Amino acid sequence: MGRLVLSQLSRSFKDVTAVDNISLVVEDGDFLVLLGPSGCGKTTLLRMIAGLLEPTSGTLELDGLDITDLPSRHRDLAMVFQSYALYPHLSVAKNLAFPLTVRRTNRHDVSRRVAEVADMVDIAHLLERKPRELSGGQRQRVAVARALVREPKAFLMDEPLSNLDAKLRTATRQELAALHRRLGATFVYVTHDQVEAMTMATKIALLNGGRLEQVGTPDELYDRPASVFAAGFMGSPATNLLDARLSSSNGAITVMAPGVEAVLWEGETPEREIVLGIRPEHLSLHAPGSVAAAPTSGAALRGVVELCENLGREQLVHCRVGAHRIGVTCPREQRWEEGAVVVLGASTEHLHLFDRATGRRLEWRAEPPLTQHAAPNEPALSV
Amino acid sequence: MFTEVQGPTTTAAAAVVVGPAGPRARRRPRSAWLPYLYILPAVALLLVWTYWPLVQTAGLSLQDWNLIPTKPKTFVGVEKYQKVLSLPELHQALANTVAYILAFLGISVALPVLFALLSRRVQGRARTFYQALIFVPFLVTPVATSAVWRWLFAPESGTIPAIATTLGTPMGNIFRDPDSSMLSIVVIVGWQMLGFGVLVVSAGLAGISPDYSAAASIDGASQRQITWRIVLPLLSPSLVFLALMTILLSAQWTYPIIDLVTQGGPGNSSTNIYYLLYQFGFRNFDAGLSSAAGMLFFAGFGIVAVIFVELSEKLSFHDN
Ligand SMILES: Nc1ncnc2c1ncn2[C@@H]1O[C@H](COP(=O)(O)OP(=O)(O)O)[C@@H](O)[C@H]1O
Ligand SMILES: [Mg+2]
Repeated sequence: MGRLVLSQLSRSFKDVTAVDNISLVVEDGDFLVLLGPSGCGKTTLLRMIAGLLEPTSGTLELDGLDITDLPSRHRDLAMVFQSYALYPHLSVAKNLAFPLTVRRTNRHDVSRRVAEVADMVDIAHLLERKPRELSGGQRQRVAVARALVREPKAFLMDEPLSNLDAKLRTATRQELAALHRRLGATFVYVTHDQVEAMTMATKIALLNGGRLEQVGTPDELYDRPASVFAAGFMGSPATNLLDARLSSSNGAITVMAPGVEAVLWEGETPEREIVLGIRPEHLSLHAPGSVAAAPTSGAALRGVVELCENLGREQLVHCRVGAHRIGVTCPREQRWEEGAVVVLGASTEHLHLFDRATGRRLEWRAEPPLTQHAAPNEPALSV
Repeated sequence: MFTEVQGPTTTAAAAVVVGPAGPRARRRPRSAWLPYLYILPAVALLLVWTYWPLVQTAGLSLQDWNLIPTKPKTFVGVEKYQKVLSLPELHQALANTVAYILAFLGISVALPVLFALLSRRVQGRARTFYQALIFVPFLVTPVATSAVWRWLFAPESGTIPAIATTLGTPMGNIFRDPDSSMLSIVVIVGWQMLGFGVLVVSAGLAGISPDYSAAASIDGASQRQITWRIVLPLLSPSLVFLALMTILLSAQWTYPIIDLVTQGGPGNSSTNIYYLLYQFGFRNFDAGLSSAAGMLFFAGFGIVAVIFVELSEKLSFHDN
C-alpha cells in the first residue's frame, strides 16, 4: 500500500515561497511525475514528502496516517537522490544492505535480499566495488537497488536520470517504467524533462513557481492543457501561443487576431481577450491560392516563411504571422522558400483557448439550460 | 555501380591538425627547464632553512662541542647517542611528551568532534560566531597566553585560586607543584589548540554532502546510527590529519608555554623533549648531546608521520 495525500502543503525559505499551497492525491500504485522547470519547487516538495524538510504549513498523509511530523526514518519510504548519495566508504553490497542492517534485519535475510535486488537491476557483478569504482550508469542502478531492497510504501526519485547520457537515459527510462509495472508500487518521480514525464507517468503534476498548474494523465496534459503555461511547457517544438480576441458573428464563435481568422462553432459569446494555442504539428502549410487554404471551419493564419529548420524526421517552418512567429512542422519533402506567402490551417478541435488575464483554459459547454442561475450576460464559455 | 562515400579526413582537415603541432614541437626544448625554475625559490628556501641545518645537526651529533666558536669540535662517534639514551632526564621528558600528546589528542581531536556534532543544529550567523569564539585563542601569541594564564592562576591575587578558596579547596601555586605543573601546561596549550581542532573538524564536516545523512535517515537510520556509521567514517580522513598535526605540533606548541610558565620544573615534572633538547644545547652548552637527541626525535616523529600518511591514504575516498 502507498496512498499519499498532500493537503495545502507550503514551504517558504525566508522570502521565497518554494512550494505554494499544493493539494494532491497520489493513489496506491500511481507513477506520479512532478514536472516543471528548474526552480519550480519539485525537489522541495519531494523532500517534504520524504521528511527531510518541514512544511511551513499543510499536512501529509500516508495510507490514512498523518505523517506531517513523523521523522523520515519512520515514514517507510525509499528515495533515489539526484546525486545518488551512495555511501562512499561502503562497498556496493554494504550500501544495499544498509537500509536492512539499520533495522536489525537478520544477516541471512540481508544477504538473500541484497542478492535478489542486485539480480533485479543487473549489478550482481559489482557487489564488492566501492562507489568510486563505478560508472554513472552503474551508480544509478545501485541507488535504485538500495531503494528496492526494502519494500517501502512509496519510492521517491529526484531526477535520477539527469546525470546519464541520452542513450542510457532512454534505456533506463524504460527499465524504470517496467519496474513500476512489475512492483505495482507507488512512485513519486521528479523531473524537468517532459519526455520522461510523458513516457513513464500514469499521472503528471505540473508545477510552476511553486504552484500546481495541472494534474492529469500524460494524454490529458498534452491534449487538454489547463493553462497557457501547461500548453507552452508540454510539447516540443513548443506550442504556438498568440494573443487574440474571442467574439461571435453571424451566430458563430470566432477568434480574430492580426493575420489570424478562426470560425469555431455555432454559439454566442461576449467579446473576450484570449490566448490562442496551436501545436506546430496541428498546423498545415498551404500556398495562398490552393483549395485547402480556404477552409470553412477551423483557423487560417496568413504569414510569410522566415526560416526552415531540419529536425531530421521532419522540418520546422517558422512563419511571421502579425507580430508572432509561428512554428509549423511538416514533411521535409515540402519545399518552402524563405519569403514565400503562405496560409497555415488548423482544425477546430486542435485550437486551445485560454483566458488572457487568468491564463486558464476555456472550454465550450453546450448551450446553457435556460434555468441556469448565471447572469444573462455571463459567457457560455467556462474557465 | 557503387562508389564509397569518403569520410571527412581529407587533406584540408589533416592540414588543420598538423598546423598547431608545428610551433609547439619547436618550443618544447626551450621550456624543458622552465618548470624547475618555477619551483627553485621554494626548493632553495627548504634547502637553506631545513635540509642544510638537518645535515649540520647530524654532523654535530657525532662531535663534542660547547658552542664556543673558537673551541675545536672533536669527533666522538656515537658516544653522544649512547649518553643521551641513558639520561634519566630523557626518559622523564619522553614520558611527559607521550602524556602531553595523549592529553592533546583528547583536547584537539575528541573534544572538537563532540563540539562539532553537538553544534550541528546551530545554523547561520550564530554558528560562525560560535566557531570564531573557539578559534580566537589559537591566534593569540603564546607569550600573551602565558601572561594571562599566569595572572589567572597567581596564588595571591589570581581569579582561579580565589574561586577555589571560596569553594573551600585552596590550590596554592599550581606552577610550583610537581603534581599539577604539567596539568597547568595542558590546560593552557589545550585552550589554544582546541580552536584549531574545531576548525579542522568543522571544515571536514562541511565537506561531507548532507545527502548522505538525508539518505541514511530515509533508509531508516537513527541519528546515532548516522553519526557512527556515516558521519564519523566520512570524517575519518580529517581526524587522521588532525591527529597527525596534534602529535607533530603539540611538542612545539608546548615549548614556549613551558619556557614562560614553568621552565620544565619543578624538577623536570613538566618538561618535554623539545624543552630538554633546548636545555642540553643552550643551558649545558653541549651541542653534540642536543643534536643527538634532535636526530632521535626526528627519526621517531618521521616514523609516526609515515604511519599516519599511510593510514589516511587507506581511509580517504573520493567523494563525488
Ligand atoms: N535551502 C534553501 N534555501 C533557500 N532557498 C531554497 C532552498 N532550497 C530551495 N530554495 C528555493 O526554492 C525554490 C525551489 O527550489 P527547488 O525545489 O530546488 O526547485 P527544483 O527542484 O524544481 O529545481 C528555488 O527558488 C530555490 O532557490
Ligand atoms: Mg531539483
